[in-house]
Amino acid sequence: MGRPQPLMIQIATGDPRPIGKQIVDAVRMKIATGELGAGDQLPSVRGLAQQLTINPNTVAKAYAELTTEGWLESRQGMGLYVATPRQRLSEDERERRLDDAIGRFVNDVIPLGYAPDEVQARVAHEFQQLVPRKIA
Amino acid sequence: MTDQHDYVIETRALSKRYGRKLALDNLDLRIPRGRIHAIVGANGAGKSTLFRILMGFMPPTTGEARILGRDSQSLTPQDRARIGFVNEEHTLPNWMRVEQVTTMQKHQYARWNQQAFDSVIGHYHVLPEQKVGQLSRGERAGFNLALALAQRPELLVLDEPTLGLDVVAKRAFLESLLYSNAADDCTVIYCSHQMEEIERVADNLIILERGQLKHMSAPEDFTARVSHWVADVPFKGPELHTVPGLLEVQRLDGLHHYLVLDQDDGFEHFLRASGARNVQSMPVGLDRAVNAFLTKNHAAPAAA
Repeated sequence: MGRPQPLMIQIATGDPRPIGKQIVDAVRMKIATGELGAGDQLPSVRGLAQQLTINPNTVAKAYAELTTEGWLESRQGMGLYVATPRQRLSEDERERRLDDAIGRFVNDVIPLGYAPDEVQARVAHEFQQLVPRKIA
Repeated sequence: MTDQHDYVIETRALSKRYGRKLALDNLDLRIPRGRIHAIVGANGAGKSTLFRILMGFMPPTTGEARILGRDSQSLTPQDRARIGFVNEEHTLPNWMRVEQVTTMQKHQYARWNQQAFDSVIGHYHVLPEQKVGQLSRGERAGFNLALALAQRPELLVLDEPTLGLDVVAKRAFLESLLYSNAADDCTVIYCSHQMEEIERVADNLIILERGQLKHMSAPEDFTARVSHWVADVPFKGPELHTVPGLLEVQRLDGLHHYLVLDQDDGFEHFLRASGARNVQSMPVGLDRAVNAFLTKNHAAPAAA
């Protein structure tokens, strides 16, 4: 049995998102981008708490949320692992989140003054970078 | 003592009056056993008075205070041994060697746990033969914490324990508190003004103000009560006393910034009804939320 995957995440105090939420977001992002794959083991509650200098209960709550949402699964006495992917959100919720994300992206990008073609090409390139890792 | 009313600290209608000033005002506070509870409050909110009464150093004017189930006015030495106390001064006899202080404490406390002491002091470069006076402020804080946790207290009160420590020493202090195992069976009360630390350590946030309990919940639930609204309101904007839940207002570059408590989308309607053309809102962090909350009722000279 291998060691846990290191979880390369950072948290910031003073952020509007509580620390627990920052962990949940970061882990979801790593799974979504393929940086963490199904079957990867997560650091222990205590290990991650110590890495981030936070209360272990905060990590435990974040892990519990990720488990409830189906991103992680616990294996008896062995710790937490990234679960096999399945669609975790309702169709409406997916739509809504996609709209939100595109809205934010467009707001950030428009003032930079690039031609839409160029932006789209760059986005397509980024996706190509991600896709192989996700399959690997 | 495992029933659901197991509180480490329990006060009922507790008041303390100094002359014309009420330091504690009918305070009802119940802190359940276990976990880390942060107490915040502006200076003069009543924290020190509360702990002086709880430790039995001072009687209340009226009301009742219990600590670990005992009336704080009749604590025995055995009761006190169940409580650890670390304050910002980290007062220890400067002329004694570390090992002498340790030996003295070992004799003092029947439940002394050497392993707990070692696991905390292991986070610091403190040598047994060093004189206390030669330790740095951070090392003294760590030594003090090690001594307190080695008593195996059921309740550990930390009063601004990291005040005046540099970032390295602060981090060592938090690590030795959170990861040494020594505090695992202990309820921790953490009094601090440092929101960054509170965000990292606290399971529960208690806000005291003018001797009253203003809020108690998980820190993130408090943060969620406060929101920041920016509105383009012509002229002066609504009269401040009509703004619901107002904590703080600023006018920046012609826009009104409002920090408000417990407001939902109804607040946007309020702003629009007051003539706002453009309204946006965003969440705030714990630091901003707590500071706005505490600043709201801050004494200020009567407006001219």
